[in-house]
Amino acid sequence: MNIRCFQRNFCAAFPPLVPLQLPSPMETHLWYILPDEVKSWGLLNHYSELLSPCERESVNRMRGDQLKKRALLARALVRTTIARYQTNCQMNPRSLKFRNNLYGKPEVEWRNEDNLSPLPLHFNISHTSTMIACGVTVNVPIGIDIEEKQRRTKNNIIAFAQRYFSPYEVKVLTAISDPQVQRQEFIKLWTLKEAYVKALGKGFSALPFKTFTIRFRDTTMRNFHPPGTTVSEASDIIVESSDDPTNPANNWQCALLEVAGSHYGAICMEKDRIAGANAPMKLTAWKTVPFVEDVCVSGTDAVLALGGIIGQ
Amino acid sequence: MASSTGLSFKFSPLSTSFKQNQVPLRGICNGNSISLPSRRIRPGSLRLRVACAAKPETVDKVCSIVRKQLALPQDSSVTGESKFTALGADSLDTVEIVMGLEEEFGISVEEESAQNIVTVQDAADLIEKLVGQKAA
Repeated sequence: MNIRCFQRNFCAAFPPLVPLQLPSPMETHLWYILPDEVKSWGLLNHYSELLSPCERESVNRMRGDQLKKRALLARALVRTTIARYQTNCQMNPRSLKFRNNLYGKPEVEWRNEDNLSPLPLHFNISHTSTMIACGVTVNVPIGIDIEEKQRRTKNNIIAFAQRYFSPYEVKVLTAISDPQVQRQEFIKLWTLKEAYVKALGKGFSALPFKTFTIRFRDTTMRNFHPPGTTVSEASDIIVESSDDPTNPANNWQCALLEVAGSHYGAICMEKDRIAGANAPMKLTAWKTVPFVEDVCVSGTDAVLALGGIIGQ
Repeated sequence: MASSTGLSFKFSPLSTSFKQNQVPLRGICNGNSISLPSRRIRPGSLRLRVACAAKPETVDKVCSIVRKQLALPQDSSVTGESKFTALGADSLDTVEIVMGLEEEFGISVEEESAQNIVTVQDAADLIEKLVGQKAA
């Protein structure tokens, strides 16, 4: 054997995916990738092999390398994350099938012939140019939206709000005199409204932004919290329908976070009847690079609760 | 082998097209059977819908608004066939683009119509339809 030149193509072997425990009722698992931390060609190629042909085609259609990479990481994050929750066998992320619901919301399609036991998992993804996030729940639908804190709109914020937000929200924003604070409050409202619409899963047109109001309410009552949970000082987040403001959308729970110091993230999930009507939303968050590492960031500065979450 | 200039994926192009959101076709149901209407088609009851593509100037204006919103370089290609998402527009961009189009053309776009806009051409066609309705 000629060993002078070691020319055999060396394929980096990637470790198998580490299995995950399902979220508990009323808990959200939040996984996020920072695309700038993923630079390895081998890793990106490995991710691309997990995608379905249609997904690869979609990624290919994105304009430019950065958008392609973002689209690729988003699909890889969803596939690897969902696969890891499969409890009874080593799940191949490539085997997962996805479809869109009637209104275009993506969901897992469980089929008997794949030797998978259907899991009551719900997921939703969101991405910006510097972060890709995936939220996972059991039993109940979830919607998430992330946005860079420094995101600037091309339009004037108040003009935008007057066109798309509810009168109350316009009033709240108009009352803020500091432009930076106004911009940040706008972004927070935007992510919350997006997360709510995505959680409902019926599309933008089924629930135009003007038809509901998001408001923050200071919690006056302190409930008993189990020892070991971090209690947030933040306010409750209430969703009110413009048609019926006296009857807030009680079956949906919203939370707002600051993630990695750079983003606002909003999570909206349906309350789990079995868990109890007033069970607080719990959150566990990880920064991840699939196949490489998970860093649990709950309770650190990387995930700051701004509203709606009690336990981390 | 990785190219030095940027990402290059070895994806094989597919010949089959992938349709998302396939809507099931509905037949006309009479109880349990599906039957076709048998009455004669009278002249006048036929409604022809001729879909006209928007004028090039409209498409160009949409392209320019999209370019501005997404801060695309001048040499990047934006045509009627360009999909907003492929150009990197997220939901906030899309809503801002719609708002820009409303101001530019003096129209009001309902959420239902906005939701169906996938390409620049879709936006241009919708604009012309709304402008036409306004003039009528």
